[in-house]
Amino acid sequence: MGEQKKEAVGTPGGRRIADIILECRNLWKIYGKIVAVKDVSLEVKEGDIKLIFGPSGSGKSTLARCLAMLTTPTKGDVFLMGECLTKPGVDLNKARAKIGFVFQHIWLFHHLSALGNIELGLRRVLKLPKNEAREQAIQALKEVKMEEWANHFPAQLSGGQQQRVGIARALAMSPEIIILDEPTSALDPELTGEVIDTLRDLAKKGTTMLVISHEMPFAREVADEMIFLDEGMIVERGQPELFFTKPSSERARRFMARLIKLTRRE
Amino acid sequence: MILTGFLKTVQLTFFGLIMGLILGILLAIGDLYGGKIISTIIKFYVEFFRGSPIIIQLFIFYFSVPIMLNIRLGSTIVGFIVFALNSAAYQKGYIKGAMESVYKDQMTAALSLGLSKVQAIMYVVLPQAMRIMIPGWSNEFSSLGKSTAAILIIGERDLTAIGRTIAFRTFRFLETYAFIALIYFIFISIVLKILDIIYEKIKIPTIEISA
Repeated sequence: MGEQKKEAVGTPGGRRIADIILECRNLWKIYGKIVAVKDVSLEVKEGDIKLIFGPSGSGKSTLARCLAMLTTPTKGDVFLMGECLTKPGVDLNKARAKIGFVFQHIWLFHHLSALGNIELGLRRVLKLPKNEAREQAIQALKEVKMEEWANHFPAQLSGGQQQRVGIARALAMSPEIIILDEPTSALDPELTGEVIDTLRDLAKKGTTMLVISHEMPFAREVADEMIFLDEGMIVERGQPELFFTKPSSERARRFMARLIKLTRRE
Repeated sequence: MILTGFLKTVQLTFFGLIMGLILGILLAIGDLYGGKIISTIIKFYVEFFRGSPIIIQLFIFYFSVPIMLNIRLGSTIVGFIVFALNSAAYQKGYIKGAMESVYKDQMTAALSLGLSKVQAIMYVVLPQAMRIMIPGWSNEFSSLGKSTAAILIIGERDLTAIGRTIAFRTFRFLETYAFIALIYFIFISIVLKILDIIYEKIKIPTIEISA
């Protein structure tokens, strides 16, 4: 704990610190009696790769959705490029277009081909003309090595291929940041590999990412910071090496030990 | 004579079906996204049209409504109104069910790209819901096509009404009514076949599993 920076609140709406892309301050999400996210503050700088992990039910997905404003936080603020998204009257559609989101269960549009899935946002949100949207969609498919599958429908693709299209769909909108909510946990180990490779490529290109994942080798390789979430709270955060060598909290230590044991068994 | 009656039946059926579809979509969207009050009003509307005989509905719009509003309504207009409103009540159920089955994840995914709610409904939810809906729509078509026969009660000259006139004039009841029934049967079968073909055509492709 203790490491959480309590920064002074800057002028609302104005650009505060230029290189902070996405930030939340004292974020809470409460469903009835269940506190899913409890007073979480974090910030993602340009080019950062943050990795959030923790046991199931620890509020990771809820936090990710609050950050993308797909769920309205109960308390606290979310800032995108210094603009507060949690005050009334903000154009959330515009904000969401700048935040890429990749879902655990993928959620491609079933009635559209891989290409169509990517073109939809380009045409209807970014209002690109048809041929330009097509060009950019093909470019995005190339980045995830799926261009040969452009005309296939989601049901004709494997889970790993679908998720790569899901990543391309988010990527094509040229978002400021991509949030990935357990992008591989619905896939078997073989398919996980191809998606992780795609993420590695993105990391190399300097894409700003917030990833929820338990792929520890991947985390160790690319993450700038790992954040351990339990019961909706940030229990511990720091560079990957900290977690792999000597996590200071008991809970993180136990969780890491379990994860590492699981990975070895595979 | 039979042809004009037949055309009237076709007219009433298709007008009712298509207006019912448009209204039904609006009702379904209102019910899903409109909040409690709108959803309650829609529920009353649907219960009225599903819960009362279509002949009573025709009477209300032919006799009562014109008196209340002090206007004159021809029997064809009343037919258009009643069959559209009646079909909308049924179609709303099909559409809402179909929309709900695609609704949540697909909606969230669409919003995450920055689409507005209206865009998400137009480009993501409805295109999928329509595909799911076609079998239900076939049902509604065949039921509505036959229900239009009720309109003879307010003096409209549809296929059944013409058939009745011919039967009384010629005293060939069996042959006339059998022939009229056959026309209904052929009309409905052809349209159902067409809907079937459309359904297969626009089905979302999946991997063909061959045994």
